[in-house]
Amino acid sequence: MIEFFLTILDHLPNWLPRLWPALGQTLLITFASFILASIVGVLLEVIRSGQNHFLQRVVAGFVDVIRSVPILAILYVLYFGLPGVGVYLSAFAAGTIGLGIVYSVYIAEILRAGVQSLHKGQREAALAVGLSPVQTFRFIVLPQALRVVTPPMLLTLISLLKDTSICALIAVNELMLTSKVIMSESFLPLHVFVVVGAIYFAIAWPMSLFVRWLEPKLNRGRR
Amino acid sequence: MGQTGAFLEFLMPLLAAALTTIGISAGAFVVALVLGFVLASVRYLWPVRLVTIPLQAFVEIYRNIPSLTHLFILYFGLAYLGVRLSSVTAAILGLGLIGAAGLSEVYRAGFQAVPVGQREAAFAIGLTPWQVFREIVAPQAWRIALPPIGNYAVQLIKDTSLVAAIAAPEIMFTARNLVVNTFETTLVYLLATLIYLALCLPLVVLLRSVEKRASTPR
Repeated sequence: MIEFFLTILDHLPNWLPRLWPALGQTLLITFASFILASIVGVLLEVIRSGQNHFLQRVVAGFVDVIRSVPILAILYVLYFGLPGVGVYLSAFAAGTIGLGIVYSVYIAEILRAGVQSLHKGQREAALAVGLSPVQTFRFIVLPQALRVVTPPMLLTLISLLKDTSICALIAVNELMLTSKVIMSESFLPLHVFVVVGAIYFAIAWPMSLFVRWLEPKLNRGRR
Repeated sequence: MGQTGAFLEFLMPLLAAALTTIGISAGAFVVALVLGFVLASVRYLWPVRLVTIPLQAFVEIYRNIPSLTHLFILYFGLAYLGVRLSSVTAAILGLGLIGAAGLSEVYRAGFQAVPVGQREAAFAIGLTPWQVFREIVAPQAWRIALPPIGNYAVQLIKDTSLVAAIAAPEIMFTARNLVVNTFETTLVYLLATLIYLALCLPLVVLLRSVEKRASTPR
């Protein structure tokens, strides 16, 4: 056991200079696809709560399809499949777009829960006492919706961080792929993957703890 | 060979691979369902630190590290230690353990959702702790846990695609091999996607209707 960690310590000076830039890629994909997913997610939810029945059907179908297909299949279609019809994406772009599309569906679901958690009467009452629609949204709807939406959004961000590892399979130079390359050079699979697992854990776990700490605080005074 | 011939030539191996996908999903589902329940029950029945801390550590480690990392540790890492698992065994074990961590939290939420008053009442009429758990808490918790378990099942079928990375001969791995041999990239990956759609879409639609029914006011 001690020997195991000593071997890791021996190799860390060689591995870390390669893992840091890879971690940078992982974080970059995470944030880029989170932003994309948020934008598309808002769009999906706006359409869903709107009046256009045709578009609503389209969105409902889109959501079901995306929920039924693995991220890996979507990434393969985007990265390997699209060139067949003349569209070439870099691995990074394919990874970001793929994760962004998949997670937009989850984010739309969270936003819907956030909006539904507010009683309709609150909006009507705010408008009745003379607040403008913008004021109503700013002072009545938004503060309450944010309380509901923030914890699941953070949990989604954690899932997204973990799922960026799938981008290794379309050759994005992120943590997982880099660790696999290091493994095939060093023949120390267990050591390398334990180090990489620890890196993911060091980022994801504090976030999980933060959500667990935050959630009861946000719920205080509600209901 | 005509277009249909090529189509069938791809479809057949992919459908055969779908059976492997279903097998791995079923195996991992059973592991997750049983182990998750055992973990949550042990934690519920013996809420002492000696028990909860290691179990919580297990859950945190599995929930905060990517599935792919866990699969690589099981497949490549254990082989390094001399424990050589077949890719399918590693897949079932890995996905099962990840699922057990997730489902144990689902069960736990279910246990906690049963009102304390019921437990107290059950103790008051003289049931043993084990009877209370078996007759009062577990059956109700099971009902609460059912929809998230359904969602987990869909997620699991999709996550089996990851075990392509440890060379388990499921849909994505087979698709990849077909592409390497034929270069029919777009067609093969679209077919693979359609097979996943056929496997998961009925479940997704079913779950959505169940959720909708559960959320309508009574």
